[in-house]
Amino acid sequence: MTAPLLKIDNLRTYFYARRKQAFVRSVDGVSLEVGRRETVGVVGESGSGKSITAMSVMGLISSGPGVIGGSIHYASDKVQRNLLDGLENFVQLEQSDGRVMAVSKDERGWQKASEKLMAGMRGREIAMIFQNPRASLNPYLSVGEQITEAVRLHGGITAAKEARERALHWLERVKIDTPHLRYNTYPSGMSGGMCQRAMIAMALSSEPSLLIADEPTTGLDATIQSKIVDLLQELKSETGISTLLISHDISVITRLSDRVAVLYGGAVVEYGPARQLLDAHAELKHSYTAALLASVPNEQKIRARANLQAIEGEVLDTINVPPGCRFYARCNRITPEIRDKCATLHPELKEVAPGHQVRCWRFVN
Amino acid sequence: MKKYVQTTAAVSNFSSLPLYQRFSIPDLLYVGYGLLIVGLVLVSYVLGAFNLLPHDPQQINMELLMAPPGTAGHLLGTDFMGRDIQSRLILGIQAYFLPGLLAIFIALSGGIVLGVLAGYRRGYTETVITYFTNLVDSFPRLVLILLVIAAFKPDIYYIMMVMGVTGIPAVANAIAGKIRVLAQKNFIEAAIALGLRTRVIILKHILWYNCRALLIIQATLGMGEAILLETSLSYLGFGVQEPTPSWGNMVQSGANYFMQGNFWPSTAPALAILFTILGFNLLGDGLNNILEGKRSR
Amino acid sequence: MKFMPLRALARTLLKELGLALLLLLGVSFVVFIILYAAPGDPFSVLLEGQMPSEQALAGIRVALGAQQSWYGQYLSWLHNVLGGNFGTSVRTGMPVAGELIHVSLNTLYLTLGSMLVTLFIAVPIALYSSMRGHSVAISWPLTMLGYVFSALPVFWLAYIVIYVSVHGFGFFPLSSGMGDGWLYTLVPVLVLGLGSGTISEVIRYLREEMSRVMAEDYIRTARAKGASVWRHAFKEGLLLPVSEIFAAKIPFILGGAVIVEQIFNWPGMGRMAWQAAQDRDFPVIMGIALIAAIFVRLGSMIQRMVFTAVNPHGARD
Repeated sequence: MTAPLLKIDNLRTYFYARRKQAFVRSVDGVSLEVGRRETVGVVGESGSGKSITAMSVMGLISSGPGVIGGSIHYASDKVQRNLLDGLENFVQLEQSDGRVMAVSKDERGWQKASEKLMAGMRGREIAMIFQNPRASLNPYLSVGEQITEAVRLHGGITAAKEARERALHWLERVKIDTPHLRYNTYPSGMSGGMCQRAMIAMALSSEPSLLIADEPTTGLDATIQSKIVDLLQELKSETGISTLLISHDISVITRLSDRVAVLYGGAVVEYGPARQLLDAHAELKHSYTAALLASVPNEQKIRARANLQAIEGEVLDTINVPPGCRFYARCNRITPEIRDKCATLHPELKEVAPGHQVRCWRFVN
Repeated sequence: MKKYVQTTAAVSNFSSLPLYQRFSIPDLLYVGYGLLIVGLVLVSYVLGAFNLLPHDPQQINMELLMAPPGTAGHLLGTDFMGRDIQSRLILGIQAYFLPGLLAIFIALSGGIVLGVLAGYRRGYTETVITYFTNLVDSFPRLVLILLVIAAFKPDIYYIMMVMGVTGIPAVANAIAGKIRVLAQKNFIEAAIALGLRTRVIILKHILWYNCRALLIIQATLGMGEAILLETSLSYLGFGVQEPTPSWGNMVQSGANYFMQGNFWPSTAPALAILFTILGFNLLGDGLNNILEGKRSR
Repeated sequence: MKFMPLRALARTLLKELGLALLLLLGVSFVVFIILYAAPGDPFSVLLEGQMPSEQALAGIRVALGAQQSWYGQYLSWLHNVLGGNFGTSVRTGMPVAGELIHVSLNTLYLTLGSMLVTLFIAVPIALYSSMRGHSVAISWPLTMLGYVFSALPVFWLAYIVIYVSVHGFGFFPLSSGMGDGWLYTLVPVLVLGLGSGTISEVIRYLREEMSRVMAEDYIRTARAKGASVWRHAFKEGLLLPVSEIFAAKIPFILGGAVIVEQIFNWPGMGRMAWQAAQDRDFPVIMGIALIAAIFVRLGSMIQRMVFTAVNPHGARD
């Protein structure tokens, strides 16, 4: 078996809340794999660390202390490297009771080292699209110029005219009507959906191996959302690109993903094949995933006039992370036998079926 | 290496933290230094007003010309006519203190009225006020003052009135901008919906709650500008005339001696100007960072 | 694709020209009102301590259009000014207009030069301290230095520079004409650039704008696609703020020029204004106020044009 394209292992990205004199443990031990030609969906509430995971992969974390541990192995045909290689030389952690209580980090040194590791990666190997596409495009450059820039940087084409042709070709592929006209349009003159298509064209124009889509449909109209998902699906089957898809929207995840990781409180609580994991009737399931699925409307529920279930309780406080299971306070499947363990010990991921892991004491014997 | 430490006791209340943890240390140093200077200026002004000076500032002493600082009896030395520099520096504050306050008063009151009108009443009123502020901004301040001096007389109160009027646009723009931000957040609509009277909204909710920090900052920076202007004009010979001391004419009258290598008679008042204006500027910027929540993380 | 900006530029130019004309009309009116309200009859003012020539008296009559109602005087003065006739200097008895063109060019050189000096110092400091991961140990002293230069009285700075150049380099940087070589003219430009009192504000503004832009989403996109962040941040983070500073600081630098020209004997508007204020030479100072206002309006027009060129579709305001 060949190495997966992207293998994130025990990634930890912390921030520091100066006002509270405490760490915000945004990403606290995330492990993930994205295989070749595979789409991995990452789902979770806001604040669960989805986007920070993606930003950590891209080396785009700019607040301190940022990434403090873990490894991100990337292995395409052209490049094989650990994107966090040597991080431990820049970071010192002081732990007590298994929790990091102090971080010393040479941020400038790591920034330099990280820029070196990311050279030739951003845009060329890994491309990224964001939510709020209108703000993500430079308002002072025409859409075409921005795509041409990506082509010239990474597409191996330096001739201006050729690059322009290439950009137009990609505008066409993402189904923007009258690409010749749109080429000269500024982002302010386009709709959100159109801007996202342009973003996708820009990201794919350099033919990267991995696409990170960070909430690509959030903030768009429902009909536009569906069209963007269609487009992503189509491009995926055409180009065979691997995708790390981040969304809080289960329906988007359902339509695009091969495998799904459910994030809660900065850690993966369930990870497995999409079909198995997203099946609302399957028994082997983390209670958070079950709650998440129950809160999504679908045709069946609407027909049955069933109530949608909200998840009780509040989103985990990533500053004062409890010692036990992070979902403990909101879990509705705790049995008396395991209650003590749930409250005091953080469970490990446990394989419940081939390729399907769950982080819950119910499945630990 | 940057170190981050989580305190074991969970900190819940920001305002219970010590000052140096709540705000950035440079900002606190700025404000501390600025307050020190303001205190010094105030005390010196009172000393000068009641003539409580170590020496008679006009007393010429031909025995002791250009004594260096630290000379017995003359803490800051004497000038080229043997006059005590410390006493002259203290008395020099009289030249700008009250006129500067007048300038600030005019700038703030004019700025408040125009700013509130421009921010609160849009349309025609706003256009007229924009025209006025652009018009005032079209005059370089010093040129306008020279014009007034030519037309009337080189009186410091005229000068500071012009200074006050030319300071109006900055205050008005700041207040109008603030009101626009509040309006965007539907703050004003909410206040109207609550049935508050316009007077209450403007005086209490807009000016007092939301603009007081801004006004303090503008006043502080305004005093720095007033000092700069007064010293410049008395340097040019249009303000207080010798033998009455002002910092500007002290620098000017020491110029010839400066070129001969006797730096102190010019340098002492120049340093007084430097440290005082620095104090007001740092106080203004430090307060801006602390009160308006910039840079403090 | 380059036609759209051209049209937008032309539209902005026309709009700004109209606004500038309106404002200059207001400026001329204010100037006139101040002099009209001046105590005493202009003629008795002129006779104080001087023996004006017949020519000078005639010049004043032309300049102020005496013996008419106030608006009549204003209109006839305005008519003369528009025709390029600023009257005759009380002191020299020469027509003001010719002299004004000469001195205003000298002042323009001094003003633009010192603006460049200010920016050359402020821009690197601002960029450095707006960069993430910068060293506070370097950027803080630099910022502090900016504050010190802003509080420094420019006349004392000039003394130091003159003293150092006389005793250290053996040349006397006072120019009575512009023919003394460009090196001589560089000294006043440097002094005004450093000491005009604007450096710390310029640093602060540029740093805040650059930091704000660096936090924008589109800069994140630029980094994610491996493009140069500076290329993407340049327009909004540097070009626009610099053009705004340029327009906003012209009045301050012109004010500083009065002092610097005085010290360095620079034959410019500032020194002329100083002289005119002492002599109560109305036609001269009126002319200077108008020219100075024209400079200010030109600066703001340039700023609006840059804004339109960068942002032809009004994407941001």
